[in-house]
Amino acid sequence: MMQVNKVLNNFEIVGTQYSKKDETQEARKPFIKGIPILSVVILVLIILGCLFCELIMTHDPSRMFLDEINRAPGSGHIFGTDTLGRDIWSMIWFGGRKSLIIGTVATVISSFIAVVYGTLSGVAGETVDNIMMRFTEILLSIPSILLVVFMQAALGQRNFLGISVIIGITSWMSIAKIVRAEVRKIRSEEYVLISKMMGGSFMHVLFKHLAPNFMSSIMFMIVMSVRSAIVSESTLSFLGIGLPVEIITWGSMLSLSEKALLTSSWWIILIPGIFLVVTLLCITDIGNYIRGSYNSKEGNL
Amino acid sequence: MLRIGLLSNILEVKNLSVVFNTPEGRISAIRDLSLSIGQGEVFAVVGESGCGKSVLCKTIMGILPSNTEITSGNIAVNGKEIVGLSDGEMCRVRGVDISMVFQDPMTSLDPTYSIGAQIAEAVRVHDKKITADALKKKVIDLMDAVGIDRAVERYSSFPWMLSGGMRQRCVMAMALAQEPKLLIADEPTTALDVTVQAEILDLLKEIRNKTGMTILFITHDLGVVAKVADKVAIMYAGKIIEQGLCEEIFARPTHPYTWGLLHALPSFAENGRLYPIPGAPPVLKEGFEGDAFAERNPYALRIDYAQEPPFFDLSPTHKAATWLLDERAPKIQFSLTNTAPPKTAHDIKQTEKLMEIHDLTHYFRLGQNSYVKAVSHVSFDIYKGEVFALVGESGSGKSTLARCILGMYKPLGGKAFYDGIDITSKRRTRKDKARISKEIQFISQDSGAALDMKMTVRDIIAEPLEIHRVYKNRKAADERIKEIMKKVGLDEQLMQRRPSELSGGQRQRVNIARAYVMNPMLLVADEPLSSLDVSIQAQIVEVLSELKKDHETAMLFIAHDLSMVEFISDRVGVMYKGHLVELAPTKELFRNPVHSYTKALLSAAPKPDPEVEKTRVSTRYKKSLTEFMHEGWEEVAEGHFVLKEH
Amino acid sequence: MNLRNKIKLESLINKIIIVLISVFLLSLITFFMSRLAPGDPLASYYGDRVERMSTAERMHAYERLGLDGPIIGQYFKWLKAALSGDFGISFKYKQNVMTVIAGRLLNTLLLGGIGFVITFGLALLLAVACAYRENSLADRIICRIGTITSCIPEFWLSLVLILFFAVMWHLLPSSGAYAIGRANDIGSRIEHLILPLIVVVMSHLWYYAYMLRNKLLEEIRQEYVLLARAKGISKRNVMWKHCVRNLMPTMIAIMAISMNHILEGTYIVEMVFSYPGIGTLSFESAKYHDYNMLMVLTVITGIVVIIGNIIGQTISEKIDQRMKAQDKMKDLMEIVSHREMMDDASK
Repeated sequence: MMQVNKVLNNFEIVGTQYSKKDETQEARKPFIKGIPILSVVILVLIILGCLFCELIMTHDPSRMFLDEINRAPGSGHIFGTDTLGRDIWSMIWFGGRKSLIIGTVATVISSFIAVVYGTLSGVAGETVDNIMMRFTEILLSIPSILLVVFMQAALGQRNFLGISVIIGITSWMSIAKIVRAEVRKIRSEEYVLISKMMGGSFMHVLFKHLAPNFMSSIMFMIVMSVRSAIVSESTLSFLGIGLPVEIITWGSMLSLSEKALLTSSWWIILIPGIFLVVTLLCITDIGNYIRGSYNSKEGNL
Repeated sequence: MLRIGLLSNILEVKNLSVVFNTPEGRISAIRDLSLSIGQGEVFAVVGESGCGKSVLCKTIMGILPSNTEITSGNIAVNGKEIVGLSDGEMCRVRGVDISMVFQDPMTSLDPTYSIGAQIAEAVRVHDKKITADALKKKVIDLMDAVGIDRAVERYSSFPWMLSGGMRQRCVMAMALAQEPKLLIADEPTTALDVTVQAEILDLLKEIRNKTGMTILFITHDLGVVAKVADKVAIMYAGKIIEQGLCEEIFARPTHPYTWGLLHALPSFAENGRLYPIPGAPPVLKEGFEGDAFAERNPYALRIDYAQEPPFFDLSPTHKAATWLLDERAPKIQFSLTNTAPPKTAHDIKQTEKLMEIHDLTHYFRLGQNSYVKAVSHVSFDIYKGEVFALVGESGSGKSTLARCILGMYKPLGGKAFYDGIDITSKRRTRKDKARISKEIQFISQDSGAALDMKMTVRDIIAEPLEIHRVYKNRKAADERIKEIMKKVGLDEQLMQRRPSELSGGQRQRVNIARAYVMNPMLLVADEPLSSLDVSIQAQIVEVLSELKKDHETAMLFIAHDLSMVEFISDRVGVMYKGHLVELAPTKELFRNPVHSYTKALLSAAPKPDPEVEKTRVSTRYKKSLTEFMHEGWEEVAEGHFVLKEH
Repeated sequence: MNLRNKIKLESLINKIIIVLISVFLLSLITFFMSRLAPGDPLASYYGDRVERMSTAERMHAYERLGLDGPIIGQYFKWLKAALSGDFGISFKYKQNVMTVIAGRLLNTLLLGGIGFVITFGLALLLAVACAYRENSLADRIICRIGTITSCIPEFWLSLVLILFFAVMWHLLPSSGAYAIGRANDIGSRIEHLILPLIVVVMSHLWYYAYMLRNKLLEEIRQEYVLLARAKGISKRNVMWKHCVRNLMPTMIAIMAISMNHILEGTYIVEMVFSYPGIGTLSFESAKYHDYNMLMVLTVITGIVVIIGNIIGQTISEKIDQRMKAQDKMKDLMEIVSHREMMDDASK
């Protein structure tokens, strides 16, 4: 090494360009890092299981084995039977499909309303914005269970599309508030002001700047609202104002719990509940990953 | 000048190395740094942002964030070793032996306590038995000592009721509470206006002279160094690269980086050109070998890329770490690399007005019914092709004025005409609007906030082209973008990068490119330099001067200090509290400032020359608004207007 | 100073007006929604007798219950009576609405109020524990457990608790607010409160603790922390005396706007535990078209929530104003009133 250096004359001026630094070594941040792999895998398994439930069900989920009511988990029925004698293993997958679809449809509806309403409120003038936000506050101050009861009564139908619509149109308010806050924040960002000053039209600003920038926070909200829609459905069905027992979902399965408590049939309560909680947990993890961590600086303490 | 004999060393740092643990790997923040400061000295550490000077302060104070690690070295304060002390033990050192003043007095005070309570806390924490009366008396004495007038009254004021200068005095009162041996001042004046900066620096010197306190002074501003320091160390990429007495460093800068830093300043400009240091400071992985400055050093030797240079002594007090001092190295004389002819004096046709601002007034709404006067009754013209600089300290209304001109704010009173079009009027035709948005462009202060982080550099620069559909196809637009990127000194390969991957200087270049891509008639540049390092500032000024030569673009250049303005502008307007107080051709203004505020502003800015600074006394300017309102204008020389004073 | 007081008074009046308008709109919306929903309100009053009633009898019943005439008329009739303090009778309980509510309000206040206080007290403690050493093992474990608890629906948690504590181990009662005939026995009340409280607290705790943790992490990134540390104050004292103190306004604002969230949680818990509170009552009244009851309950919760929102908003604005005042421009520039501004502009 020294030999070569001597030949080259170490003390020759070579200037700024004599760099041996390899630019390609500066790898970009690994994309995969931080993805909650376990949660994704479990969620995918649950979704696949629910979508192709016909392949793994051992019984017809709505068939009542009248001589096998309240059977504990065992060989005949993997997860036992419920108070109506239905096979819980089969119901989990069959009902999960409906629960997930309700969650998705409700989210599509609520996100759509929320994004449109929030964006309008965000770009509107002060007065209109105030009125729009007051209105959401009034709606928010009515307990959503009451709203649902009204809607339920007004629609009169108790099918699973109906409940998706009801959950969708009663749960958009808090997302709308966040969308509006985001839009207002981005709207006063300097790059938006400059874009407007350069002659950028409303549509230009909306699609070039606003939409791409609030996407990440909206994605998080959307994922989280899938979660809360599933919770709403199960809560409502449990309380007896959602879906009836005949329409199998995780919620309606749990609505038999009161009866199950009388006989301490723990599996009727725990098994669908655990599936529900695990699904919600996986969705939450994915949501948190999408939101990302926003503390780049180190703390001073 | 008072100088206390070098009896003992108050601070002794030996072979200190500090490393950051980041997701990208271990980054060296401080590399094998040694320094010693004697009793009563003012020791200045100078460097650009990211060179590790703040980390050095925090290491000495023992308040490093949790992702940092001291990998080697010792720190002794007043003979006591402090590396390895537990946090509880350090709590008895902090505030007692060492105390610290921070950069931004706006954020360093707790907004929920009154300033009196915060100063009292600094006293009580080390003296738990003190009685309430004695405590209050001590606090008021401290407030008096740092020059807070009406101390009894202000005791219960909250930080947000005070000005920046007052707040910095409060922080200093806390630092002095236990009469520490060593005071660390981390850029104590950077966030302040120049006139306030002069006051705080005077106060620091006064305290040193009275108490014989040792001060470790961290700054990036060589003018400030010239004013206060006895000894100077220049820091680059976590290492001290040159160290000596203040006079030695300014008279005989030996390391190419030191030389470059000095010559990036307008005071050292030759032939009307600045000397920008190319590139940006590096981020070093742990275990880096060679001279970190080599990649920005036109005189880099081959050995610089392989081996760290040792210190070479130039005098008993002056040493520098560069291979250029080795006897085998070629002897070189630093000179400007770009020896292009000085820029020709711009010929401004004083007859062609581009922009007329008439009696412009604007207020901000603060609360329900209170307003803040931002701009009041300002009138001036901008001629075609000239650079008009608007200078003023924070709160002078210069940015507001710019935003009124840009149509971002609708002014409350007065008019602004661009080439005959009334910008302030709501009833403008579509054609006029389009013309204005094409011909007036903007460069903002915060280069990061002005760029959409989700877009690529290409898309950002292309945005105005796309809005006005200048080019039919993407290829033609790309050609234009490449051309403008080359002009502002951006590499073509950066086109697909996003702003988060660029350095501060590069981002500001992107801003300039976006503004110039439309060939505007008027460019409004709102403090385009203030968030940048000295060496980068010079780069941007060079870019702007180059563009000025090639384009017919007029520029409204807004700045808070006069140094760079002298360099780039043709005429200067000085603003104070929303009023335009003086307006003159640049040379005339610097030669013959008339308004007393202009004089104060000129004298407050420290010059990077210890001979001048150590003897100079800056003039003060304290006048309330009403004293000079609406007194009318006076023309003292051709084109030189001054607002009449009493 | 005078001007400032006047401004304060004006904004207070403004806020009261906003509350009044909001409550009015809220009652209007509830009224129309409940009347337009299909179902027979007479059924809850007369029970099975309804089916045997003649048309004339029905008309008479409608008139008696204030259900005749156009809906708008009905609403104003209700409003007029309500303003004079008469909220009508409950169709289901056949008693004055206020009497029915008064008997249950205390139960809900106990459950919701204690739950609210415990939730935020614990949330703050957890937030401090996490933020004190960010990303430490303790922080990560708390975050993980917290995330899991936040994913458990209230009703299911209630079921599981009842299953284990009441049905399997017979430790605690599973329903009601007190054992029959022991309404004044505090011990019995506490016993009945434990499980519902656990659910109310568990299901909201992490949501707020995480929010506070993140706010606290923002606080410890502030520069005043460095200054306090430089003074020689210990980490623990900096956390409690400075960071937590700075967090307080934000926390109070969060508490104020989270009232409806916790109230709603209480409602669900009440229903699962058959706890005689406002929640069960409003659920019943919606289900059985007990209009008068429903109106009062909605208006009461509405007022609580709207006032909470306004408190939260006012505090946030105050914090905002402090930020604005922090802005350098205030140091140097004059502050003038509206009239002075207009005078100056017209010059």
